[in-house]
Amino acid sequence: MKSMKKSFLFLVMLVATLLVFAACGTDTEEDQDPVDDENGEETTEEATEEAQEGGELVIANLSDAVALNPHGSNDTPSSNVAYNIYEALVVQDEDMEVQPGLAHDWEMVEDTLWEFHLEEGVTFHDGSEFNAEVVEANINRILDDAVASPRAFLYDMITDVIVVDDYTVQFETEYSFAPLPAHLAHNGGGMISQELIEEDYAAMDDGEEPGSVINESPVGTGPFEFDYWNSGDEIRLVRNEDYWGDNAYLDSIVFRVVPEDGTRIADIETGQAHIGDPLSPSDVSRIENTEGIHVNETPSVSLSYIGFNAQKEPFDDPQVRQAISMAINKDAIIEDLYGGAGVPAIGPLAPEVFGYDENVSGLEYDVDQARELLADAGYEDGFETTIWTNDSRERIDAATVVQDELADLGIDVEIEIVEWGAYLENTAAGEHDMFVLGWSTVTGDADYGMYPLFHSDNFGEPGNRTFLENEELDALLEEGRQNPDPEERQEIYSEAQEILVEEAPMLYIHHQEFLLAVSDEVQGLWQHPTGILMLDDVYLDQ
Amino acid sequence: MFTFIVRRLLQTIPVLIGVTILTFGMMRLIPGDPAQIMAGESASPEQIELTRERLGLNDPLPVQYMDYVTGIVTGDLGTSVRNGRPVSGEIAPRLRPTIELAFYSTLLSVLIGVTAGVIAAVRRGKLSDSLIMLFALFGLSMPNFWLGLMLIQYFAIGFDVGGINTGWFLASGWGTWQQMVLPVITLGTAGAAIIARMTRSSMLEVIDQDYIRTARAKGVKERVVVYRHALKNALIPVVTVVGLQFGALLGGAVLTETVFAINGLGRLMVDSINARDFPIVQSGVLVFAFLFVLVNIIVDILYGFLNKRIDLN
Repeated sequence: MKSMKKSFLFLVMLVATLLVFAACGTDTEEDQDPVDDENGEETTEEATEEAQEGGELVIANLSDAVALNPHGSNDTPSSNVAYNIYEALVVQDEDMEVQPGLAHDWEMVEDTLWEFHLEEGVTFHDGSEFNAEVVEANINRILDDAVASPRAFLYDMITDVIVVDDYTVQFETEYSFAPLPAHLAHNGGGMISQELIEEDYAAMDDGEEPGSVINESPVGTGPFEFDYWNSGDEIRLVRNEDYWGDNAYLDSIVFRVVPEDGTRIADIETGQAHIGDPLSPSDVSRIENTEGIHVNETPSVSLSYIGFNAQKEPFDDPQVRQAISMAINKDAIIEDLYGGAGVPAIGPLAPEVFGYDENVSGLEYDVDQARELLADAGYEDGFETTIWTNDSRERIDAATVVQDELADLGIDVEIEIVEWGAYLENTAAGEHDMFVLGWSTVTGDADYGMYPLFHSDNFGEPGNRTFLENEELDALLEEGRQNPDPEERQEIYSEAQEILVEEAPMLYIHHQEFLLAVSDEVQGLWQHPTGILMLDDVYLDQ
Repeated sequence: MFTFIVRRLLQTIPVLIGVTILTFGMMRLIPGDPAQIMAGESASPEQIELTRERLGLNDPLPVQYMDYVTGIVTGDLGTSVRNGRPVSGEIAPRLRPTIELAFYSTLLSVLIGVTAGVIAAVRRGKLSDSLIMLFALFGLSMPNFWLGLMLIQYFAIGFDVGGINTGWFLASGWGTWQQMVLPVITLGTAGAAIIARMTRSSMLEVIDQDYIRTARAKGVKERVVVYRHALKNALIPVVTVVGLQFGALLGGAVLTETVFAINGLGRLMVDSINARDFPIVQSGVLVFAFLFVLVNIIVDILYGFLNKRIDLN
């Protein structure tokens, strides 16, 4: 008896030990496997059969939403859920063009006055009606200082909301503001039920945090209704059967929090989830070699960059900034660090953003000329400096590449990894030399991609962490946001891009591609250039 | 016994007060402004100022500390800076997975560790002893997130052996046994290894003692000698280690909770530290400290059962 127990125990241990070895073994084999990239492009469009109604779509997400409240938090996980509950007056399509949403028509009636004509017969999930008054209540709430909405900056040029009739609303702006429709298309413009807004204000009077009521029971007009939110674990939405447009196919959607990259993939492989968001670039080849799952790639409106502190020596000299920009091989960074997922950036704007000019040529990778520029600036022997990054694998790797390549120019770079909160605070205070960061032009308009980042009014926290100061650029950026004529705006932003190449306040690295791991069962999915998953037309092919 | 427990519980009060001061101080000393993090990268300075004001972050530190302590005493732990929810509502539902995970992992490590340790000690110098100690070394040296990922690869995704797929368990979540097996093994392995080594050395010490020799000389059966006489005494240092282990597991569960997507307290704490969510971090640390102290009181009581000579009072 005793010996039997013992032998069993040994068996267990033996198997376990073997597995450890086996695990190591397989790993190396996988590494040696030549990755067959071409095979990975299995087309998902091949299934053109009837869309099937029903089923529950499970999305494994890196992190939980912060608030299910369009006026609340500014993060992608929250937006991803909220987008299905709330709708805005207008939406942006795949090319970031503004299309009708809750408003079917709009026009600029005067330089500082916009008029929107709303859809009739739209009801909220709580049964209340959508009309011009609701729009007024929403814009007023988001601009209310007491609410302190992190998205107020999108609408702070609006001075007055005028209810013309039940289905016509006008926005008066402080100055002529051309990109207003793009701003209204942002998630922050999602319309909340007016009754809910009033309840939330009542709760605030009782000492509750703003948004506490809205977060608990979000009510919008969207194709999906809120079911429950198990904080830190999962959020579930169910189909809105009384949707004013075409009903969605899916019965329900679950957003689950699965923080570990590998576990998200395992969840898809084991049928626990259908979509893994995001997919780490280093896992792309693994997915391509796995049956039943494919990779979904979407060009984004985001920018990754290495910023220089333009107020600090030696980066106050544009020649030094240009030299460093020319000394770094962006293609290699994209290939090695991001698994090729992205396009090299010549300026701050991604090709999908309005105002992008493909004719602007950037600073080419040219180490010899970089050396000359440095010599001209009086730094032929290089200098010592630091580069900051937060604790993100890709950013640390990018900093390491920069450190390595600049060593060839005699520039001695020390990498400092700073914790995220401290990182934001200290870069806003201008304590840095160089830093690695990103920006997402969420409105798809050049104004948002440039004004906060480069206007000298926006030093520090609002976005200009390079502390660039250029009067000509300031004037262009001001004109660009006020001029109503799209063609003139395009010219203005082309000029601004030229200046930004010359000034080189940052080394523009790349416009990232969003990567998703998607089960082959999922049909009709696409991802918006702002990172949001479009689920209205998704169905499960089981 | 009763007075002992009461006294020990009272003794925890100064410990917990110390913990409140330390966490409060540390959270404020590290740079990073919760208002800035909450308002986001693109918030205006006025918004950040408003947020600071609303969160009470502009009050002097002693005032903030007193608010916090008054809150604890009156049962009001405040609201999360990040999502505005009551702290108690954020912490309470996450306690269960974390405690369960730590408990089952401890149970697993005790079962495997003690058994393996006893076998190794009894068969000292033989092949089985060497194998067990080699295995224990493996268990100790393996980073547990790596072990977790390997277990997922082989027993959640699985592979085919002779027509049987080994994907028996699930890779994420907590609740059903299919979800619980892999994380418990992941977290319990290192503990099993430590306990096995501890049991072995403790057993070896005891086995050489006079009273064991006497017992053998009296003709007591070897099995009785080992399990009744030797093991019971050898367990005292082991129980100490188990108690400390349980505490370490509560904290060490962070990685396991992350790998297996378990919505536990450890993960909440890490997320909250990153978001500078002061109220949650402060209360969470307090809960951890209290659990740890509690487990150690239980360990002390166990001493008394194992060895009547240890006087609890």
